[in-house]
Formats: sequence, C-alpha cells, structure tokens
Amino acid sequence: MSTMSLGVALFLLVNLVAALVTAARGPTPADRMLTALLFGSTGVGVLALLAHAMGIPALVDVALTLALLAAIAGIAFARRAWHGGHEESPDD
Amino acid sequence: MTVRAFASRAAGFALLWWVLSEGRLDGWLLGGVGVAAATWASLRLAPPGARGVRAAPLLRFLGFFIWNSLRGGVQVACMALRPRPDLVPALLELELALPPGAARVLMLNTLGLMPGTLGVDLDHARLRLHVLDARLPVAAEARALEAHIARLFGAAP
Amino acid sequence: MIDLASDALLLVGAFFYFAGTVGLVRFPDVYTRLHALAKADNLGLGCVLAGLALQAESLAAALKLLLIWPLVLAASAAVSYAIAHRAEALGVAPWRREEK
Repeated sequence: MSTMSLGVALFLLVNLVAALVTAARGPTPADRMLTALLFGSTGVGVLALLAHAMGIPALVDVALTLALLAAIAGIAFARRAWHGGHEESPDD
Repeated sequence: MTVRAFASRAAGFALLWWVLSEGRLDGWLLGGVGVAAATWASLRLAPPGARGVRAAPLLRFLGFFIWNSLRGGVQVACMALRPRPDLVPALLELELALPPGAARVLMLNTLGLMPGTLGVDLDHARLRLHVLDARLPVAAEARALEAHIARLFGAAP
Repeated sequence: MIDLASDALLLVGAFFYFAGTVGLVRFPDVYTRLHALAKADNLGLGCVLAGLALQAESLAAALKLLLIWPLVLAASAAVSYAIAHRAEALGVAPWRREEK
C-alpha cells in the first residue's frame, strides 16, 4: 500500500512547511532555532515514508544518516553547553 | 574479562552491520573490516571497566523512557488540540542527588521528552526546569526519572 | 491484516505530527513550543517507523527502520535542552498566564 505512505508523506510535508513558516516568524531568535528540531523529526519521517512509497530503499539510508548526524550534532551541542557552563567536567 | 568484552562488542557491531546491510551477504568482506575496526576503536576509547552501565538497569531505564515519551507525546497532543488552551507554565527548581558528570547530563537532556517537563539549566546540583502545567505532578515525574538514572549508574541508595 | 495495522500506525503517526504543528502554532512562547515539538513529533515518527517496519521485506530491514527512532530521540532531547538553555541565556522570559 504505497498510496497510504505517499499520502502521509505529503501530509507531513504540508506540516513541515506550516511549522517552518511559524518558526521563522519568530518572534525571538530562539523560536527560529526550532527548525533544527523539525528537520530531525519531520524530515526523517518524510524520507522514510518516501523510501517506501517510491520504492527507493536507499532513502532509508539517507534517513538513517540524517538521524545519526542530528544525534551527533545534538550531543555536541549539549556537551558544549555543558562545558561552557559552570559544571566541572570529571571525565572525557 | 577483556575477552568477554571483546566478544560481546564484536557481536554487537556484527549485528549492527547485519541490520544496516539489510541482511545481504555480499557486503560481509567490507563489513568484517568495519566490525574489527569498530571493536578495536571501542575497546581503545572505552576500555571495559568498573565505570560501565549494567545491562538490567539499562533495559529498565529504556522501558521507562519509551513508556514515558509515549505518555508525554499523548499528553502534549491533547493540550495542543484542546479547543481552549489551558496551560499553566512555570519554572521549577530541584536539587539533584545524582553524581556530577554523565548522570546529570543524561537527566537534563531526557527531561525534554518526559511528560510536561523540559530541562533549562543546571548549576552544580541545582536543576531548573520548565513545566507546561504546574498543576500536574511534574516534580514527582522528575524524581522518578532521577531514581531510574541513579540506578542506571549504580549510584542508587 | 498486517497492512491494516501498518496503515493505522501511519495514520496515528500523522495525527501526532499534526498535533505537534498545532502546538507550535498555538502555544504562546518558545518553551511551550519546544514541549509540543519535541514530544509530539517524536511520537509521530515512532508510529510512522513502526508502521513502515511492519511492511518491510525482511527482519533486518525492519530493524533498520526502527534503529532510526532512538537516534532521533537522542537528537531531539539534546537539541530541545540546548534551545531552552540558549533561550534563557538570551533573556527570553517564559510566558505566564495572566492572573484572574
């Protein structure tokens, strides 16, 4: 049933556009950073759905790589915040 | 001990390769090299020792985490779709009993996926979190998460 | 039967994505929007991946789809904390309900 996954993928794309417009409107710079979250969750979901709908299994690899990069970026982000903070760093 | 750590990690990486190659057999030459390199790097970077995380508490923690992220998603979806939004956001402060380092960072980061809570700041042991609805028992939820993480790192009472 | 369960999971996933977007549009400030996006979208992704995994051709392919979920969970957890932390450092005050 690839019609279902195609339909859901299109629905997610509409959601992504609506969310991007809202996030870009602000009002604070922090609101615009929300796009980083959107690409992690919605972007990966769209890729996985398209892989099934269009019969391109390689897109699952793209989704996996995007998720891996998002995880690494997120952890690097958090560790930087951690070391930049007041916390003593006990191990590395 | 090192032999056991070597065998279990090599098996883990081989399983990962099997999943990534979707069970195909033609890539195992490259996969074998990858598994060997990954095992070597992992033993080198994280030598087996006392500072590890034990398996049983890890499974319990994962179960707790997945169940609560389901609850968190359902709860926030209900709040978003309510005809009249009814949020009572607040900032809470909690004193953490967790040891400094990885345990506290894990706590701070996982709070964002638990029902109603979001970690904002950590100054030594003082944790600041943002909550969606101060009328819900969010502090108790945060304490439950803290207890699970403490067991995970073997620091539990 | 499996197709039916898979379709149902995809629809439930779409519903949670939709709820996350609605939360993003309706919630009053960056902190509350973070709650909506991080929690609802991740649950939506989990349902979508589970639905797709049910239709996968082999066990390994299904596990590969499910492997994506914990990675995105880790990313969302770390990024949502980082954004909240940064927002506070930038001096964004949390929205509060007006006193009655």
